[in-house]
Amino acid sequence: MNMEPKTKSPGSIKRFTNPLKGIQIGNQTTLLLAVFIVLFIFFAVTEDKFLTGRSITSMAFQLPELGVLSLAMMVTILTGGINLSVNATSNMAAVLAGLFLVKFIPPEATPQQIGLFIVLGVLIALVAGWLSGVINGFLIAYVGVPPILATLATFTFYTGISTGLTGGATVTGFPEQLSVIGNKAFLGIPIPFLIFVLLTIFTYFLLNRTSFGFKARMLGSNPIASNFSGIDNKAILMRIYIISGILSAITGILTMSRTMSAAYEYGTTTYVLLTILVSVLAGILPGFGNVIDIFIAMLILQILSTGFHMALLGIRGSSFFKDFSWGVLLIIIFIINYFTRVRKAHE
Amino acid sequence: MLNKIIKSNEFVIFLILVGLSLIVGIINPAFFSLSTVFDILRSSIVFFIMAFGLLPIVIAGGIDISFVAIAAVTSYSTHMLLLNRGYQGGILLYYVIACGMGLLAGLLNGVLVTRFKLPVFDVSLATFTMWYGFTLFFVGATANFDLPPGTVGYYGKFLFTLQDPLVGETGLHESILYVIAIGLFIWWFLKYTTLGRGVFAIGGNREVAVRSGFNINLIMLITFAIMGILSAIAGVTQAFLSRYFNPVIFISQPLDVLAAIILGGAAITGGRGTVIGTALGVLLIQLINRTLILTGIPVEWQRLVVGTILILFTSLPAIRDLRARRVGHTTELVQAE
Repeated sequence: MNMEPKTKSPGSIKRFTNPLKGIQIGNQTTLLLAVFIVLFIFFAVTEDKFLTGRSITSMAFQLPELGVLSLAMMVTILTGGINLSVNATSNMAAVLAGLFLVKFIPPEATPQQIGLFIVLGVLIALVAGWLSGVINGFLIAYVGVPPILATLATFTFYTGISTGLTGGATVTGFPEQLSVIGNKAFLGIPIPFLIFVLLTIFTYFLLNRTSFGFKARMLGSNPIASNFSGIDNKAILMRIYIISGILSAITGILTMSRTMSAAYEYGTTTYVLLTILVSVLAGILPGFGNVIDIFIAMLILQILSTGFHMALLGIRGSSFFKDFSWGVLLIIIFIINYFTRVRKAHE
Repeated sequence: MLNKIIKSNEFVIFLILVGLSLIVGIINPAFFSLSTVFDILRSSIVFFIMAFGLLPIVIAGGIDISFVAIAAVTSYSTHMLLLNRGYQGGILLYYVIACGMGLLAGLLNGVLVTRFKLPVFDVSLATFTMWYGFTLFFVGATANFDLPPGTVGYYGKFLFTLQDPLVGETGLHESILYVIAIGLFIWWFLKYTTLGRGVFAIGGNREVAVRSGFNINLIMLITFAIMGILSAIAGVTQAFLSRYFNPVIFISQPLDVLAAIILGGAAITGGRGTVIGTALGVLLIQLINRTLILTGIPVEWQRLVVGTILILFTSLPAIRDLRARRVGHTTELVQAE
């Protein structure tokens, strides 16, 4: 991750000077869409089970957790930072909410009361996410610790809170109603997927349609220039890390509701690295990038995962092929982007 | 000279190390024994090797995380290859084959970075995912405990042994010699070769390095080759020290190694970093991770303590910089008056 502001080629600046004119379709979006369509057609033709309602629904249930966590990562990368504590935050939020639900719901509670407790639990998770964002934002914006170091330290710190409170055990025994968020569908659309879509739209508007989003991008592309333009860099960074923390906490709620359990160890480091991979695949750079690309990148990763899982069914270790394919795809996208840049420079 | 040493970053970390050891030692006098020292050194060995391999890349301004995946794919593939051939001999062949693979894997990163002008971090993220996936799918997904007969004794090859009242016979493993040799090599490479000076030049100011006539691509390729080879050595060494080969070895540790290097005084933006500082950073992280158990803090709360210490340690240099800037600012004003 480059912490230094990047100098951009004229092509990408052109894409940026018109932030308020229609939804921008950048090169990366076109490329990702093309990859998505090719892969979709490929697996739809080669695998009979790929286009069934069951497989589509199962994909729509699997993808949102990593998707929302990737949004949490993406907003920080856009400002030239990184948040390695996203997964630790989501586990901590889930553990706190989970412990609250297990310890405080009285056995004789009515369904309405339980519903109220669940709402409170969700609020606790969101507050935990907010608090983690405040701590990260304080360390990064006000103390001046490099984001990668600050969030690596808080990653251990938040994991430590979850480990300490649970004694390393998995928290279970939640009321049945909680599973609605992670396992039920609304109008045929899985609720987690709906939440992911809504959060994508929300993040899009926040970053592309508000003055806050504009300032955050300016800060990402050149912090010194943004500072001299009268932008309060510290306040913007603080809010970005708070948004990142809250998005992470929402992931925690989704995971908790789907698995009906909470633990300090869900995901670990590999999950964090995956969210960075999504951002890199989506072409997110300090100051530049589009939330829509994150959404398409997530769809691509999920298709590769499900598609190859079907194609290699029965082969030993088939579920690991997706990691290999993700890495290879990323390299292919890098190389395509390189040649597009070279061609543009020639023109 | 003495003044320079006292003001250096390495000296500060050294003081922190000593201070932390004293605190742990006062809480639990069992800490002050040679067996503790040997234990910390033994667990640090592979991290020293990986950190030394990563250091030149960090100094050149890159952040790589794929070195752990290279350690996994090279050590595990070498083992499976030799196991299938019915290999009975010693460990030397392991190192030779793994280093060859590590060289190629490192060069793959290097070629992608230099040929396609890509950020080091992005490339390493792709190869990190790719190599772990490759190992698990194409080579094998289970830990393997079948070591060739010629390699079994390596586990207990100590430079010298001693009797400890608590843990029985213990000693200093001979692989600490590799660490010393590798550390000296990286130190020499960075300090006394033109290529090594080029590494600092690239990290300090890439444009100036290009204009000064440094062959950036060659320098980057060589640093990646070094990283690949050292990762392979670390992977094989770890396997023989723990007596099994693990396809996902180090998968959750790339950032710990990076943190050790940065704690050791290397700049995350490049241009600054030393071998001694890196070694002290590795020792510091290992000391924190391995000695908290001696202080009587309950196991489940130890991670929180580690996290708190990390937050403090990462904030300290930033606070120092903040103060330095403020002080510098006022002196400027005073001088202006």
